[in-house]
Amino acid sequence: MKDPTVISVSNLSKYYGGVPGVQEINFDVNRGEIFGFLGPNGAGKTSTIRMLLDLLRPTSGKIKIFGQQIERHSQEIRKRCGYLPGSFAAYGNISGAEFLRFAAAMRRTKPKKQKSLIDRFQLSQGDLAKKIKHLSQGMLQKLGIIQAFFHDPDLLILDEPTSGLDPLMQEEFYHLLREIQQAGKTIFFSSHNLPEVEKVCHRIAIIREGKLVALETLEGLKKKKLKRLRFTLSHPVPGLELPGASLIVQKDLSYEFLVEGDIQMLLQRLSTFPIEDLTLPETDLEEVFMAYYRSEE
Amino acid sequence: MTYIFFIWKSHRGFLLVSMIFISVIQFLILKMVTTIDYSTMLPQLLEQLPENIRVLFGDNAFSMATVEGAAAGGLNHPLVLVLLSLAAILIPSRHIAGEAETGTLELILSFPVRRTTLLINLYISAVVFLFVVIFCALCASLLSINMFHQLTPVLFVKLLTICCNLWLLFICIMSITMVLSVFEKEGSRVGMRAASVVLFFYLLHYLSSIWNTIQFTKPFNIFTYYQPSSLMSEQRSFLLHFGVLSTLILICFFVSLYQFNRRDIPG
Repeated sequence: MKDPTVISVSNLSKYYGGVPGVQEINFDVNRGEIFGFLGPNGAGKTSTIRMLLDLLRPTSGKIKIFGQQIERHSQEIRKRCGYLPGSFAAYGNISGAEFLRFAAAMRRTKPKKQKSLIDRFQLSQGDLAKKIKHLSQGMLQKLGIIQAFFHDPDLLILDEPTSGLDPLMQEEFYHLLREIQQAGKTIFFSSHNLPEVEKVCHRIAIIREGKLVALETLEGLKKKKLKRLRFTLSHPVPGLELPGASLIVQKDLSYEFLVEGDIQMLLQRLSTFPIEDLTLPETDLEEVFMAYYRSEE
Repeated sequence: MTYIFFIWKSHRGFLLVSMIFISVIQFLILKMVTTIDYSTMLPQLLEQLPENIRVLFGDNAFSMATVEGAAAGGLNHPLVLVLLSLAAILIPSRHIAGEAETGTLELILSFPVRRTTLLINLYISAVVFLFVVIFCALCASLLSINMFHQLTPVLFVKLLTICCNLWLLFICIMSITMVLSVFEKEGSRVGMRAASVVLFFYLLHYLSSIWNTIQFTKPFNIFTYYQPSSLMSEQRSFLLHFGVLSTLILICFFVSLYQFNRRDIPG
């Protein structure tokens, strides 16, 4: 039986001189899941990704991919991976088609899915014939996506993959991710774009200043950390305050609070108020994310 | 091999210009020996010059009037040295530090390719690049000598030796640049530093010829191991030059390999 863990990271740290880039992070990514790796710029996402690909050497800790240690089996592991860097760069003086031929030759593999990907992302022969330095950011990103996916890899490592894509192409990209995940492939998806992570990922890790501050399923993260509470009172209550909640909107007798942690105490307190209407609307990931960042500051 | 072809494709324009330029210089210098009779004029003219300036023209500047002297002098011409220096600095600075800077090195190393293989490919490309340019210079020299003078087997062997020595000198400069490149992450900075190192060695070589106080630096200077006029007049042994330059190349190669395998990308 195949090991369900595709990526296993334990106690991983990276220091640049004395400055911590990544500190003691631990997580596993399972086969067939889309794993979101979330954090603002400079949080340590790209450093972690580069260590996964053996581009950066960890100061301490272990990384296993497909059950093999990256530092010993880097080449075999990279053969089974597709990678889209955060700021995708290719040689400006060759054409897109030449670059794809070069990438396939460097991978020593047949780009099985190249043609379908080119059609899917609407790259014409004219676009592919242009020198890379003359391509727009969006076109360049499409080329990056094609080279990362064209050999049908078992693991995809994507760093901010939708930057530069228009909304239509972004949707097409999300469809592609879901199809690939349904085919049993694993996707490591790094982003600071919360709605897109919410759209496609099953589990999410949140990284802040090099430390992992949360590792949960999308639903679990929303439930565990933060809830939104909206209610309307029948008459005013002077000095209304709720334990563990912060007021975000107040209009006449309608209130909206963000609640962190256990809501039992809060409900007890609420029962003393003249409540006319109460709802618990769904929290979006942005609120969860911001709550994590606020709580750590 | 894919990477080697790619590097060739990236630099073919510069390669072509270098080949043509160096070949034309060699051809014309050797042709001039026959068209201008300065066998008596040049030594007299040079003797009027101060000692310091005469040194600038090389050990055997007076022999430029002969075919052998002109062939050796042509292969030591400042323009030829500058062009070959550019060629030697170009590949290592653009393809390690330069690619780390633009982000393409990160992409290439995400492919299943070993860092050692990549570095060896770069070395092979640069070595062949330099060989092609110097081979063109040799061919142009031989053609010119054959057309306007008498090509003897002895002269042919001497020219071949000088070209091998020139090739080794520039592989050495390329290797020094490679060492700088594997430690750096900006191609332009590597290019500037490598050019400064070459210029420093060249000036030191010249100054040590006219200034006794710094003559002790001569054994430590790479240009001491390329003296075409001395090789032509058999005053120095090519084996010594070969030994020193090859050792330096090997040291640089292994330092580059060690550092490139352990460095962070982009750095």
